[in-house]
Amino acid sequence: MSDDAKRAAAPDALGCATDWLGRAEALAAALPAPLRFDELRAGARGELLQRGLPNRRQEVWRTVDLNGFRAQEFAAAAAPRPVDAALLDGLDGALRLVLVDGHYVPSLSRRTALPAGVTVAPLAEVAAERPQLLAALGDVPAWNAEPFSALNTANFTDGVVVHVAAGVQLDETIEIALLSSEDTAAHPRLLVVLEAGANARVTELQRGRGRYFSNPVTEIRLGEGAQYRHFVLQDESRSAWQFASVHAELAAGAQASLHRCMLGGLIGRVDLTLTLAGAGANATLEGLALAADGQLLDSHLTVRHAVAHGESRQTFRGVLKGKSRHVFDGLIRVEQDAQKTDAQQQCRNLLLARMAQAQAMPRLEIFADDVKCAHGATVGELDETALFYLRSRGIGEAEAKALLVRAFAGEFLDGLDDAGWRERLEARIDAWLEA
Amino acid sequence: MLEIKNLHASVDGREILRGIDLVIRPGEVHAIMGPNGSGKSTLANIIAGRPGYEATAGEVLFDGKSLLELAPEERAREGLFLAFQYPVEIPGVNNLYFLKAAVNAVRKHRGEEELDALDFLEKVQQRAGLVKMDESFLKRPVNEGFSGGEKKRNEILQMTVLEPKLAVLDETDSGLDIDALKVVADGVNALRSPERAFLVITHYQRLLDHIVPDVVHVMVDGVIVRSGGPQLALELEEQGYSLYGRAEGESRRAQA
Repeated sequence: MSDDAKRAAAPDALGCATDWLGRAEALAAALPAPLRFDELRAGARGELLQRGLPNRRQEVWRTVDLNGFRAQEFAAAAAPRPVDAALLDGLDGALRLVLVDGHYVPSLSRRTALPAGVTVAPLAEVAAERPQLLAALGDVPAWNAEPFSALNTANFTDGVVVHVAAGVQLDETIEIALLSSEDTAAHPRLLVVLEAGANARVTELQRGRGRYFSNPVTEIRLGEGAQYRHFVLQDESRSAWQFASVHAELAAGAQASLHRCMLGGLIGRVDLTLTLAGAGANATLEGLALAADGQLLDSHLTVRHAVAHGESRQTFRGVLKGKSRHVFDGLIRVEQDAQKTDAQQQCRNLLLARMAQAQAMPRLEIFADDVKCAHGATVGELDETALFYLRSRGIGEAEAKALLVRAFAGEFLDGLDDAGWRERLEARIDAWLEA
Repeated sequence: MLEIKNLHASVDGREILRGIDLVIRPGEVHAIMGPNGSGKSTLANIIAGRPGYEATAGEVLFDGKSLLELAPEERAREGLFLAFQYPVEIPGVNNLYFLKAAVNAVRKHRGEEELDALDFLEKVQQRAGLVKMDESFLKRPVNEGFSGGEKKRNEILQMTVLEPKLAVLDETDSGLDIDALKVVADGVNALRSPERAFLVITHYQRLLDHIVPDVVHVMVDGVIVRSGGPQLALELEEQGYSLYGRAEGESRRAQA
């Protein structure tokens, strides 16, 4: 079917070939009681109906052409379809929760005995057995209205809940895999709540095969002094669309360290909103985008300093080859009461091809007068002199380039405290360069 | 070992070398002296294969193979080494890792197995001692934040680890104090052997007090105007390059 024909095929109220709203309404009536969240979902549907999907006239969406996406029909997978187990390569821990097409799959997952006070479980299970743990669901401030976050809220059927009670440290890394099969739309929902002084770490893998739509939402709420690390490998299919949202809120003294490596998607976009809600909270956001021919990788970040003495660091890097685009839009917003804020934001891009295009839009909105804020953006090519230096020592051109690209990505790699993942990622970068 | 015949070369379309003839045999140390802008560094870069340096006529043979058709890495694997006049800083690439990648690339080319990590480290530590380089430099990114003298020592370290057949030293002595100069000379002298040759490019005679050459060439305006024994270097030190129509230190670039 041509794109035009698809667009004409019964578009829903949002102007999409897939009837998102009709599907969400049917789902609302069919869901089991614990998963209904009637008010939350009705609110999301209302927001979608009122605002529609974004278009390029909206400032934060002007970098993305959604026409191709609107024309696509995606199936609502009522149950997970079989997937290639190789998609789970890299996840080898004892605690692994796997979702396929937005549904939890016990046969691919591994559950282990957890310390008292720790819950790591599928969302549908938690909703049925301990709904009190879901109080934060849909409650972590999104700050900017994000239509794809609302689309998830209206459509999610399962996900993962991580809940760690006050003062408890979970040593085991929590592994989460969000997998997709061909032609489907998936809306997995992750909720992470760390109470005061708790400590946990998540490694998340996003993968699939063929053409599909992945629409994950992650909500993170950290109590006072909680420490949280989250590494995402966005390794979606190159024919997929991914619109991901992350909302995080940090209480006083909480520390969040969020790392995201992005490789996949015809369009792969993340909208991340993080609020430093308590004094002395600290957020580190690091990104590495590897964009290949035909891809658009897009990160929209909002870090909001609501109170004094907060510290935030955003460091995003892009490596681009072929006719690809990398967009980084980072906003630091410092509210009037957020004195002594220390916020930095950096975006660096390395272009390996003439047709590649990098856009960096660092933005500051500062309403307090005693703050330290810095931002910067660079775009450059591989250093020819360095390349010659390496080659003059016998190192082949391809290996020399890989060395320099790995060096460029080095700070991101150094930020991964898991040596196994660092090695895997280095190998992934090398393979990406050769592909 | 190295045979250069009627070599002409241009940079940015401007002819710099205008017919160089030079033969270096195994075991020999040759020095090329000359004023700034005479084409000494261009010759070094042409031999190493630096992009942007174009040989327009003539040939360069290395052990009988035509060097000009080889990529820079292929030349290095054949046993050629250039100590850079301005060693390059490479942030994010660890010095030891870089050395290992280089050594293994050369070994692979020769059909040898990769060096065992411990054997390699031991070798590098021994050579670092030879050039009086603190081992902490091995863990740092290549040349990043190194002083001028430390960068030149790092070049010599790489040379002693890679053990090339022919090493070209491009003004390795520039900007060095007398102690650093001795370190560089000791590194070269330690490697001197009947199978190995050196081409030492320098502006001043003082390096040649420590690395005694077999042959000294004087290059002016892209041609070798005179060749002789070590005493030629002393002569130049006294009389400058004025005998050859150029004042000491005067540059063709400056005239242009």
